[in-house]
Amino acid sequence: MRSAYNEVWLYNLEVVKETKGWLKAKLIDEPEFKTIFENHPTSFYHPNFVIRLLIFVATLIGLSGVTGVLALIILDTNEMVISIGCLFYGIGSFVILDKTIIQNNKHYKSGLTEALMYHACGFTIGGFAGLFDFEILPLLAISLVTLSFAAYRYLDLLTTVASFFTLAYLLFHLFFDWGGIFQQIIPFMFILIFIPIYLLIKKWKSTERLSIWNNNFIIIESLSLLMIYLAGNYLVVRELSVNMIGLSLEIGEDIPYAFLFYTLTVLIPVAYLYVGIVNKDIVILRTSLLVLAFSVFTFKYYYGFDHPEIILTISGIILLAIALLLFNYLKVIRNGFTRENLISEKWTNMNAEAFVISQTLGGNQVKVDGSFQGKGGSFGGGGSSGSF
Amino acid sequence: MTQNTPRDLFEKGLISEAQYNKIEPMVSGKIISVFYELRTMLYLGVLLFTGGIGLLIYENIGALGHLISIMLLSVVTLVCFYYVFTKGLTFSKEKVKPPTPYFDYIVLLGSLLFISVQGYLQFQYQLLDDNLGWSTLITASFFFYVAYRFDNLGILSLAITALASFWSISVSPQKWYSGNFLETANLHITAIIFSTALGFIAMVLDRKLIKKHFTFTYINFCSLIFFVGCTAGLFDSDYFVVYLVLIYAGCAFTVYYAKRESSFLFLLYAFVFGYIATTYLMVNLIFDNAPELIFYYAVLSCGGFVYFIISYKKFFKRKS
Repeated sequence: MRSAYNEVWLYNLEVVKETKGWLKAKLIDEPEFKTIFENHPTSFYHPNFVIRLLIFVATLIGLSGVTGVLALIILDTNEMVISIGCLFYGIGSFVILDKTIIQNNKHYKSGLTEALMYHACGFTIGGFAGLFDFEILPLLAISLVTLSFAAYRYLDLLTTVASFFTLAYLLFHLFFDWGGIFQQIIPFMFILIFIPIYLLIKKWKSTERLSIWNNNFIIIESLSLLMIYLAGNYLVVRELSVNMIGLSLEIGEDIPYAFLFYTLTVLIPVAYLYVGIVNKDIVILRTSLLVLAFSVFTFKYYYGFDHPEIILTISGIILLAIALLLFNYLKVIRNGFTRENLISEKWTNMNAEAFVISQTLGGNQVKVDGSFQGKGGSFGGGGSSGSF
Repeated sequence: MTQNTPRDLFEKGLISEAQYNKIEPMVSGKIISVFYELRTMLYLGVLLFTGGIGLLIYENIGALGHLISIMLLSVVTLVCFYYVFTKGLTFSKEKVKPPTPYFDYIVLLGSLLFISVQGYLQFQYQLLDDNLGWSTLITASFFFYVAYRFDNLGILSLAITALASFWSISVSPQKWYSGNFLETANLHITAIIFSTALGFIAMVLDRKLIKKHFTFTYINFCSLIFFVGCTAGLFDSDYFVVYLVLIYAGCAFTVYYAKRESSFLFLLYAFVFGYIATTYLMVNLIFDNAPELIFYYAVLSCGGFVYFIISYKKFFKRKS
């Protein structure tokens, strides 16, 4: 069994989407794009993002109506019947999604498909887990199976993320339950498990036969990198040891192998950054920036968090300085890196950027006003921008 | 499949060899753009720096060295503005391409720091002690000026937010201002009038072809303020039919605008708020007596809506 979607159409759609980016970057011209477009036909119904969102919301409301009507029928029976009913309702939703929506009506990630899929996942998992009184192991197991199936068959990204975290939690839960030495070595086990996963996914990513799952692979790749880092991060290990495993630390005491975790907290981001730059790997490069920031936070959390305003100001200056220096340094292409925006990524948008700026940087502004106004009213500045 | 696309297209003769040689390194990752990474860093830098400076100023007013830091800030602000005035292009009604990839953020940094310094001076020397609300208006005007002069969408949205907060702050606590015009007014009426007026101005500017690419941001804020104001009125007021009609009028406008600009975000607004209003009406008319009907209503209305969108998919297509 492969994906539910027609692979030729998937390929054609991907080519058209990609070449549209080239057209915008003026790498090809309009007639050429048109020829490519005509040579790569698809019959998918695949609307743009906002329409997808619209259909998604409407479908969820509609489905809740269907669920409500069915619930009225079944609610008076016992728990067993309800669980089995949910399970069948979930599986039935998968069948309708697969046969009616995708095969017959040729929907591809149309909003309707996602809504029906999450709905199906929810009821399948809930119904199955209900049969086992919602015990944690069956719940995690069925979640992992159902979510991975949805991610695999419908190329869905959210369920990919969800199944990844379910796997991580399942592993944690198993080691935790075995107790004793296994609890101690959870960080190392995580590192040892997720490194091979990362390498395997990287190999699959460059396999042409599996290329329709490319986006899913990118997600698992970056999440694996993140997991390897978090497993060795001092803050994560310490807080989880104290809160989950019940390690009690006296003042002046430290977790076992503290030095090792400090080292990993520093070394892993640097190693990621190095590998990212040398191999020109954008996934690991982006992850390295993220975890670098978290490492700084880790050290600040335990040493000197007294003057947040000074820390904020100084880290702001450092970030601005680095960014401006790099912008100037990469005026020309160096080692394959450039500052120019070659092919704009499809999720970026100037209007969205402006909205984010007004929501985040505006708060600063309103606060400045508030402090010498003394009275603001509940209809304050932030509110007028849409969240009141 | 992504990495092989250029080769496939080249082999099929759909792109030329020159194009292949140019595109292939970009797609395969031989050349990597860090444009977004650096922009994100700049954004975070501005966020942290202005946030930290704001805290520093207001926590240490009167402390030693305070005046020095204010002077230092003024110098940084001046440097920013010196840079943007010398590097920036002259004003144009059209979209202006920024001279450097980080130009926008220098404008942003300079403006935010300017506002900080100006706010401090006002506080220290009690410049606008009696009319406190006016400082927000000054901020808004300054932001509008910078936004139009340097073609900066981020500053424009800050300007709109500041202008809105001027109205809302001044209207409610200070009765003298509302005076005879909005005697019995609630904030949602202010919101509706404000958003309609600003939206109208934006459409006029759009028609006169002045910074046409700003219209989206204007209409986005206006429609949100308008719809939320109307919805608040719908739930609060005795005359809910009035607000119902207003919401439907708003929906008509946003659908028209969504179609004209092919920006379907507005269609989403129209659906969400139109649906809330209609449901409210139905609750008042029918569901109070027969609550179980609400399930059938949800199925029929949303099912019908999805069916409508899919059947008229041509209408909702982007111009490509």
